[in-house]
Amino acid sequence: MSDQPVSSLWDQGTTKTYQIPINHLDYKFIEKCSDVKHLEKILRILRSGEEGYYPDLTLFCEKRIECLAPGSRALRKDKPPASASDFTTEEWEKINDEMKSWVTEMKEVDYKIQFPVTETLHERLDNLPAVRGSNSCLHGGQNKENKQRKKKNIPRDYREWDKFDVEKECSKVDEVYEENNSKACFNISSNLPVIEKKIETTGMTKKERNFIASHEKEKGNEAFAIGDYKEAVTYYTRSISVLPTVAAYNNRAQAEIKLQNWHNAFQDCEKVLDLEPGNVKALMRRATVHKYLQNYQAAIEDLAKVLHVEPENAIAKKNLSDIEQKLKDLEPVSETHTKGKRILIQDIEESDGDEERGGNGEEHESGSGNKKTGVLLGGKIATKSEMGNVQKKFSSKGDGCKSETQKQSEYTESRVKKDISEKKTIEHLPDHEGEVNGYLNGKKKNESNDVKKETSSSHGTESSSAGKSISNLLPPTAAKLKSEGNELFKNGQFGEAVLRYSEAIENVINLGVQSRDDLSILYSNRAACYLKEGNCSDCIQDCNRALELHPFSLKPLLRRAMAYESMERYRQAYVDYKMVLQIDSGIQAANDSINRITRTLIDQDGPSWREKLPPIPVVPVSAQLHKWDGGSLTSETKRKKIADFNGDRQSEMNSEKMEENFRTLKDEGNEFVKKGKYKEALMKYNECMKLNSKECAIYTNRALCYLKLYQYEEAKQDCDHVLQIEDSVKAFYRRALAYKGLQNYQASVDDLSKVLIIDPNVAEAKRELQEITQLLNLKNDVGASSQQKQRKKIKIQEVNEGNEEERQTSTSEDAVLNYQVAKGGAENSLPLKISEKLLISEPSNAYEFGQIINAVNAKKDEAACADLLTIIDPKKLPMLLSNKLEGDTILIFMQALECHLLGKDPGLVYQHLLYLSKVERFTAVLTLLSKNEKEQVQQLFDSLSKKQNHQFSLEDLESLKRVYEL
Amino acid sequence: MSGAGLEKPQLITHVQQSLNYTVFECKWVPCSARLLCLGSVPRGTGVIQLYELQSGRLSLLREIEKAKPIKCGTFGATSLQQRYLATGDFGGNLNIWNLEAPEIPVYSVKGHKEIINSIDGVGGLGIGEGAPEIVTGSRDGTVKVWDPRQKDTPVANMEPVQGESKRDCWTVAFGNAYNQEERVVCAGYDNGDIKLFDLKNMSLRWETNIKNGVCSVEFDRKDINMNKLVATSLEGKFHVFDMRTQHPTKGFASISEKAHKSTMWQVRHLPQNRDIFITSGGAGSLHLWKYEYPAQRSKKDSEGVEMGVAGSVSLLQNVTLSTQPISSLDWSPDKRGLCVCSAFDQTVRVLIVTKLSKI
Repeated sequence: MSDQPVSSLWDQGTTKTYQIPINHLDYKFIEKCSDVKHLEKILRILRSGEEGYYPDLTLFCEKRIECLAPGSRALRKDKPPASASDFTTEEWEKINDEMKSWVTEMKEVDYKIQFPVTETLHERLDNLPAVRGSNSCLHGGQNKENKQRKKKNIPRDYREWDKFDVEKECSKVDEVYEENNSKACFNISSNLPVIEKKIETTGMTKKERNFIASHEKEKGNEAFAIGDYKEAVTYYTRSISVLPTVAAYNNRAQAEIKLQNWHNAFQDCEKVLDLEPGNVKALMRRATVHKYLQNYQAAIEDLAKVLHVEPENAIAKKNLSDIEQKLKDLEPVSETHTKGKRILIQDIEESDGDEERGGNGEEHESGSGNKKTGVLLGGKIATKSEMGNVQKKFSSKGDGCKSETQKQSEYTESRVKKDISEKKTIEHLPDHEGEVNGYLNGKKKNESNDVKKETSSSHGTESSSAGKSISNLLPPTAAKLKSEGNELFKNGQFGEAVLRYSEAIENVINLGVQSRDDLSILYSNRAACYLKEGNCSDCIQDCNRALELHPFSLKPLLRRAMAYESMERYRQAYVDYKMVLQIDSGIQAANDSINRITRTLIDQDGPSWREKLPPIPVVPVSAQLHKWDGGSLTSETKRKKIADFNGDRQSEMNSEKMEENFRTLKDEGNEFVKKGKYKEALMKYNECMKLNSKECAIYTNRALCYLKLYQYEEAKQDCDHVLQIEDSVKAFYRRALAYKGLQNYQASVDDLSKVLIIDPNVAEAKRELQEITQLLNLKNDVGASSQQKQRKKIKIQEVNEGNEEERQTSTSEDAVLNYQVAKGGAENSLPLKISEKLLISEPSNAYEFGQIINAVNAKKDEAACADLLTIIDPKKLPMLLSNKLEGDTILIFMQALECHLLGKDPGLVYQHLLYLSKVERFTAVLTLLSKNEKEQVQQLFDSLSKKQNHQFSLEDLESLKRVYEL
Repeated sequence: MSGAGLEKPQLITHVQQSLNYTVFECKWVPCSARLLCLGSVPRGTGVIQLYELQSGRLSLLREIEKAKPIKCGTFGATSLQQRYLATGDFGGNLNIWNLEAPEIPVYSVKGHKEIINSIDGVGGLGIGEGAPEIVTGSRDGTVKVWDPRQKDTPVANMEPVQGESKRDCWTVAFGNAYNQEERVVCAGYDNGDIKLFDLKNMSLRWETNIKNGVCSVEFDRKDINMNKLVATSLEGKFHVFDMRTQHPTKGFASISEKAHKSTMWQVRHLPQNRDIFITSGGAGSLHLWKYEYPAQRSKKDSEGVEMGVAGSVSLLQNVTLSTQPISSLDWSPDKRGLCVCSAFDQTVRVLIVTKLSKI
């Protein structure tokens, strides 16, 4: 009864294909066989079914192969794509939701990306490397002997010479601009791969930057993954040069650690922690850096922070114990010292917890409210944070009950001391600090570094030694108290912060320092603490004081409003919020609250709730924020305008309500336009019209919607309507597009030329004009053009739209184009001069420079011109001015130089004069100057010679004078 | 499905759309949820269709008909702001279209005598330093590089020397564009030749033969110092070349892997991770691969000259979507794991590949 007869029975032959003995198709054999190739053959036979169908055996064989060689190709089966049944419900939902949200997100992004096709794009295209040596031929035969390799430096062809601009080429050489023309590079090429560390980003949209930054980061990650850390650092640097992100800094830090560039790694960690305090990865990495730099104390602190956020972080735990071990090994001498430190660490942990929580709460609650504090704290240098920790230690004492007895006794002791000291008045303050510090000193003699600093600063003698670059007019003691208060506030210890602020306030008052602004800030900060504590009445008092000292400042107003609101004194809160919005209409919290309170008040007082409101003070223009280039102003005036319209027909009450309705409808409409939902936007605008049919902006906006929906006839009518009332560039432009859609190209061309007459700088109109002229020609040529023209979508109109919304909703992010601002002036009766302060940024090319000069000339704004001259390098003047030099320009330069720059930097004035004389057309323009103007130049030279300094000699000046023909 | 199985990336058909024409190429429009299908309608004209992904289906936004069937297209040489599509058609014309105004091409040139089989672009979309350039490969045996700023003539022309037989160029790809000077073009031919042209020096840098027609070549990334090149072949094999170290005689180290039973039509690297790529096969199958680097990427040979060491590839997932060849595939540059593929069963499919970030 053995296997023998059975096996002999089976032992009858081999399989057809591979000639494998039949008895190999057996569980026992397969189980024992370890020859993968053989097994694969068996599997193939089993699968083919030529020896019979054995599903179980097949499966068994597969498992055996998988066990031996998981990567075997025989295991690969044709599979259908995965479907819902392959996933759990949650997973499937997650996948689908992700897709959905991505699609919606992309649609919005996609819309946004369409509009910034601006001049800058063309500038960028101009900056590209030259076209490769044209028509070079390369023969790639298989036969190497025959191969003709063209390595010649092909000279420029004639066409290129036609376009050759000597000036431009020279300036390129001046800038050591690496002309990356392939022709030129044959000779200078080196074998080392040179990757630029920076990416040119001029003219890129936000989205593009985002895209490129993440793309570069991915490249860095890949290089990092295969251990090419240098390359990784390069790519992270490139990513950061486009758009600094926490992730890129963090990753670069890690790569630098791998390269053992401790210093760079440290700086990157600091950057991350600046951007995002409490970032675990950065803390871990900084700890590593500290560890290698043998800065164990700091390393321990960082790790402790990590462990507080992620108590289960095994790596942090391990590192911490490692470092502590090292520390012990290093300093076995001072037993007490280490003990003291131990305690310190624990305390830090506790206070860190507060920091985290407090920080979060803060962020949630007061949004933009506390930027200043944030900045102050962010600006602290590393050594100071240690001092901060010592302070924190006190504050966290209250909950330190779980510690050992010894510790507790220490606590109580110090607490008593502090309690006493708190009662002391300001004259004793230094003493108090000293005492506390003295106490600390006694306890931790070895930590003298930090403590010393603290002591010195608390005595107010060498305030700078504490590394306090916070720089304000506060006396050192108060400044220190304030920053401590800020720290405490950030940690969520509001009570302690109040005490600090109070001390600071008393200090300031007693010293009689004349810094109302700072005192106001102190009050405001204390108010914030009170608000957090729920002590609304004190908060209001402090806000009142702060506002007395500094009327119409934003934060106290906002805080008072919040306090009023939580005390259910809605009317006062409403008034305060209104004032806040007058100052800065972009504060979302205030907008939300206004809406909320309005509702409550209507419920409470009925329709005539407004009558019960106290009067809303009007904020002077000077106190309003101008960063929105007139955005807030515009909305103000608009509102007023509408109110006027309605006032004729209806009661004041009704009109206000209508105006509110109107505004919300319009905003909603604009919002829809932004999202590309034109139909919905159209409906909103229609409703707007019912309320007020006189507002031109609505018609222009509706025209845009019609355009988008290809309802050109309606779009045209709306534009017509607007144009009957006023000559709006936008309306002309849109009518042109409508005509284009209606294939009435001639009319379209007419309208576009009108646009260009009103404002010759509208680039898109120019381009559109070109295109339409082309279409017109085409139409004339061919006779019949395709119908698809009708569906043409034009990116450009969205440029306009985006900007319009910016003005209307004043939630702009991007700068408003100059011409838009100018146009705004036509629509609004309010003089925009106040808001339209020229923002001078360094021009990178002649075009930008020309734009700025035009703006400066138009307003005779010498100050702006002086700003411009300070930021540009005199050497670039000839390049920037190119051949556009005019008498006016020289004149305004002279005035700016004389009035604004001569006093500050005569050297610069000389440089400017020198390089101005080298500008093309200079002599020609000079001869055209009038006598008066010449006198002005002479005057400038005279005053310059009086201010003579080492940067130029009298002889230089004399010779330059001759150049100026004086 | 077992728990271990779920750890692997899965391919899901998100949307499937039947078309009434032969589609040769499908492409995502960068920074959008829209995609393009390029192909040929039965009456012999070319067609470009623009679809948008909308709540689980593809909705046709516009259809553009052109005189010649369109074989291939790329967005590689345009800016994110413009997003102009460059196409190659059966008549050998290279056209650049503004999809907002597709009546007249922005740029047009009769570049080749015969069909343009393949096109690639670099220098646009923030990918690749230097000038925007387009390369086309044609049945007439030439590979030409174009700069959209130069009309009518290519900036570089790579053709066999006189008297030599002209091979059908099936595929072209840009690479090595990590700074403004460096740039290479790789071309694959029907006889198995792969040629690497150095555009900086205007020379043939390297060539090899993989014995079977080269259907598709692609660098893992165009805009880094050449790292890896994948070439797929007619009989279902693909080769991965490590392009970092070039040996004077042996060239680049490579490994090959046989995956599909039939022609391997295309290879596409995941834009978010260069070491993952997907290959599409003649029998309607897709294989997702991961390249693993060796411990040392280069070693010294007996004469002390540096030579590369190839790594290994592992199969992450494979699925069969159709019985017909999958002719083209494109990863979304914006969403990791989203891709679109077109097959000769006149269907375009949007696929989601899960768990790619965990690999």
